[in-house]
Amino acid sequence: MTASLLVQSAVIGLSIGSIYILMALGLTLMFGMMHIINFAHGAVYMLGAYVIYYVFFQSGAPYFVSFVVAMVLLGVFGYLVERSIYRPVKGGIEPTLVALLALTTFLQAAGYPVFGQLDKHVPPVFEGTKNVLGVMVSVERLVIIPIAAALVVGLYLFINKTKMGAAMRAIEQDKEAAALQGVNVHVVNGLAFAIGFALAAASGALMAPIFKLDPMMGEQPLLKAFIIIILGGLGSIPGAIVGGLMLGLIDSIVATALGAEPAFLLSFVFIILVLLFKPTGLFGYAQ
Amino acid sequence: MPLLATRQLTKRFGGLAAVNQVDLTVEPGAIVGLIGPNGAGKTTCFNLLSGFLRPTTGSITFDGEDITGWRPHRITARGLVRTFQHTTLFHDMTALENVLLGLHLSSRLGIGTVLLSRRVYPPDEVARAREVLELTGLGAHADQPARSLPHGHQRVLGIAMALAARPRLLLLDEPVTGMNLDESGRVMSLVKEIRDRGTTILLVEHNMKAVMGTCEHIVVLNFGQKLAEGTPAEVSTSRDVIQAYLGAGIAHA
Amino acid sequence: MPSKTPGQAPGKAIIAIVIAVLVLLALLVPPLGGDYYVHLLALVFTNVILAASLRPSLTCGQLNIGHSGFMSIGAYTSALLAKHFGLPFELSLLSGAIVAALVGVVIGYPALRLRGVYFAMVTVAFVEVIRLIAQIWVPLTRGMSGLSGVPKPNLLGITLTTKASQYYLALGLMLLILAILYKLERSRLGLIWRSIGMADPLAQSLGVNIAAHKLLAFMIGCFFAGVAGAFYAHFIRFLFPPEFGFLMATNILVYNYVGGRGHFVGAIVGAMFLSLLSEPFRGSAYETIFFSIAMLLTILFLPGGLITLPGKLAGLRSWRAASAPSPSPAG
Repeated sequence: MTASLLVQSAVIGLSIGSIYILMALGLTLMFGMMHIINFAHGAVYMLGAYVIYYVFFQSGAPYFVSFVVAMVLLGVFGYLVERSIYRPVKGGIEPTLVALLALTTFLQAAGYPVFGQLDKHVPPVFEGTKNVLGVMVSVERLVIIPIAAALVVGLYLFINKTKMGAAMRAIEQDKEAAALQGVNVHVVNGLAFAIGFALAAASGALMAPIFKLDPMMGEQPLLKAFIIIILGGLGSIPGAIVGGLMLGLIDSIVATALGAEPAFLLSFVFIILVLLFKPTGLFGYAQ
Repeated sequence: MPLLATRQLTKRFGGLAAVNQVDLTVEPGAIVGLIGPNGAGKTTCFNLLSGFLRPTTGSITFDGEDITGWRPHRITARGLVRTFQHTTLFHDMTALENVLLGLHLSSRLGIGTVLLSRRVYPPDEVARAREVLELTGLGAHADQPARSLPHGHQRVLGIAMALAARPRLLLLDEPVTGMNLDESGRVMSLVKEIRDRGTTILLVEHNMKAVMGTCEHIVVLNFGQKLAEGTPAEVSTSRDVIQAYLGAGIAHA
Repeated sequence: MPSKTPGQAPGKAIIAIVIAVLVLLALLVPPLGGDYYVHLLALVFTNVILAASLRPSLTCGQLNIGHSGFMSIGAYTSALLAKHFGLPFELSLLSGAIVAALVGVVIGYPALRLRGVYFAMVTVAFVEVIRLIAQIWVPLTRGMSGLSGVPKPNLLGITLTTKASQYYLALGLMLLILAILYKLERSRLGLIWRSIGMADPLAQSLGVNIAAHKLLAFMIGCFFAGVAGAFYAHFIRFLFPPEFGFLMATNILVYNYVGGRGHFVGAIVGAMFLSLLSEPFRGSAYETIFFSIAMLLTILFLPGGLITLPGKLAGLRSWRAASAPSPSPAG
């Protein structure tokens, strides 16, 4: 592997890693508060990408407007899912997981009749390439990095500097105590759903101009996000960021060297081993 | 020989010692109370004794056998059985079924015998379970689902299930907390009756009146360490004990 | 809960008659129905075995979203042994089941210490690992070209060439396995599984070795999933790795939830109901849509599953009848 190829994989890895981080952050946030794994995260990513297809490409709205539309629409959808699925089962973890699984398969399967059997393509938003350390990298991929970083910083500020964020942290620490102190647990859980869904939609929206669109497109990033939050420790936000960067880099280098399927297989075996022997995550960010 | 003896029993969580070098002995046939302010390490101590937690250092000897680090089901099989602080029952089953489970969950069985046996509950076990329910005063509620019993009865059912597992030493975790005077009086006389039938008792309880009236020997924990022990009279007049309770801001009657 | 309300506890004789009639009807399908129904029902029976074999683990409170991985192991093991070594069907089926059970022990021994979500995640990763191995290990499994030419099943040296004979084989396997699983569930072992599922610290404190029992329950389930896979391999005679993926695993779980987890018949009702009703859409996206909607509706509106529907309807009727004249009975 030449140096320039390495730099190129590294930059691509960094931009893909940013997408994974956005996905993983929502998952880990929801896990930290409700101890559930949102299986529907990949389907929401897919929907985010399709919003870009219809609003940006088909209707001609500016890209950033479409991006915000995707986040808001799916954020609202997330809130509704909390209201109509999570809340009625009253915090039962097992029925919630099964219901989210059903929601996932529903959204994916419904994607075929609704969006059509054929793959969709979104034309590039940012044309051209840029010279990074002597390697030409497409602007489309580069621009993902600052946008994702801005969203991560925004989430960080929200959680640490606002009242709602404080309520989220309180629920993560101790749900009963938070409720006793007057935190409206339902509303805050709904907000966590909304944020998680909006971040997944943002990831899909960022990737729409780069990959082809099909209803199953969310599977791969969902599984990657699983790997990340398991590596980083379920419920840990810093863990998700470190894990995402690591996986993005390793992934793009390993996949270049070995091929996609074996790389995928290895990552699953790795997940199982981590879960079995170090369920708090590799970096020890245990709760 | 004491029935139960711990030596230098210690459990650390991170840097914090929840239980610190505790020596505890329980003589056969005794009713021993384990008391102390909130966070003194009583429940941790119970979890160590019953195998739900593994001690960091120190040892536990039960009936002459070192049981340190054993898993809970093995400890139960030797005759050391615990109850839980919060009502823990099989809520979907009747009171009788709960006790039956206590009776035979511990029995060994293989797939072969299971496939060949005809009855789930052998009649002699049903009879024995009814006996336990009568003893604990729940005879009239045998066929009621556990979830529909009033709180006080649910707590007693927890004790009945533990009894069904044939303990030689019964660990009771706050058996009368949250009960009114009348209920707690009945439970404490049940505890005495259980002891008189040959089961040694070690109990954790916040209700001082109940503890002082029932236990013959009391051990006081504070900040994970043994602060004092002796008869109820000795303990209740101990300067250290009074200070520990006042210092913790809790003045139990 | 089940069996407590009088309306839901018919006498033993009635149950025996119902079962006898159902079995008789099942026996009459090949002479009376066409090949289409014979084929369809044999697959439904396989699904019933899969759904019922998930119960031991579910009863212990372990959410296994990877059951089809064990079906896949049984299918490939049996198919390859029969195809390359000419092993008779009885032995290849048994080998498939045993290998599935062994893999179950290897993965279950460490995994069953994990609770809730963590265990579920391991099983999700597991089913993907098995699928990817089947896809990548081309020299053995033929990968994405699919493994074809799996021999037809045979019994005592006689090859079952007709669909009807294979149908009877499926029916026999299903009835045998259901009988075993039912007997286990109704035994002390089943009670222990229930006790672990309801409150595992309590079960432990009453003397249950929960690690050993969870593993045993899991292994039994894997064994029978292996049997279902092996039968499937010799019946369809073509194996394609993605067939045993995440979606199939989800379906097995869905059968149990939609049917109802409170009673053994739930798995059977769920598997029959869903596989028969989704038949018109089989293979299309609408099959999955149908499954997902059935699942969501059940969780939200009928958490006890289809088996609680008659009780609920009866309750509704008696409530209507009773609500007008007299006050509710004293509690």
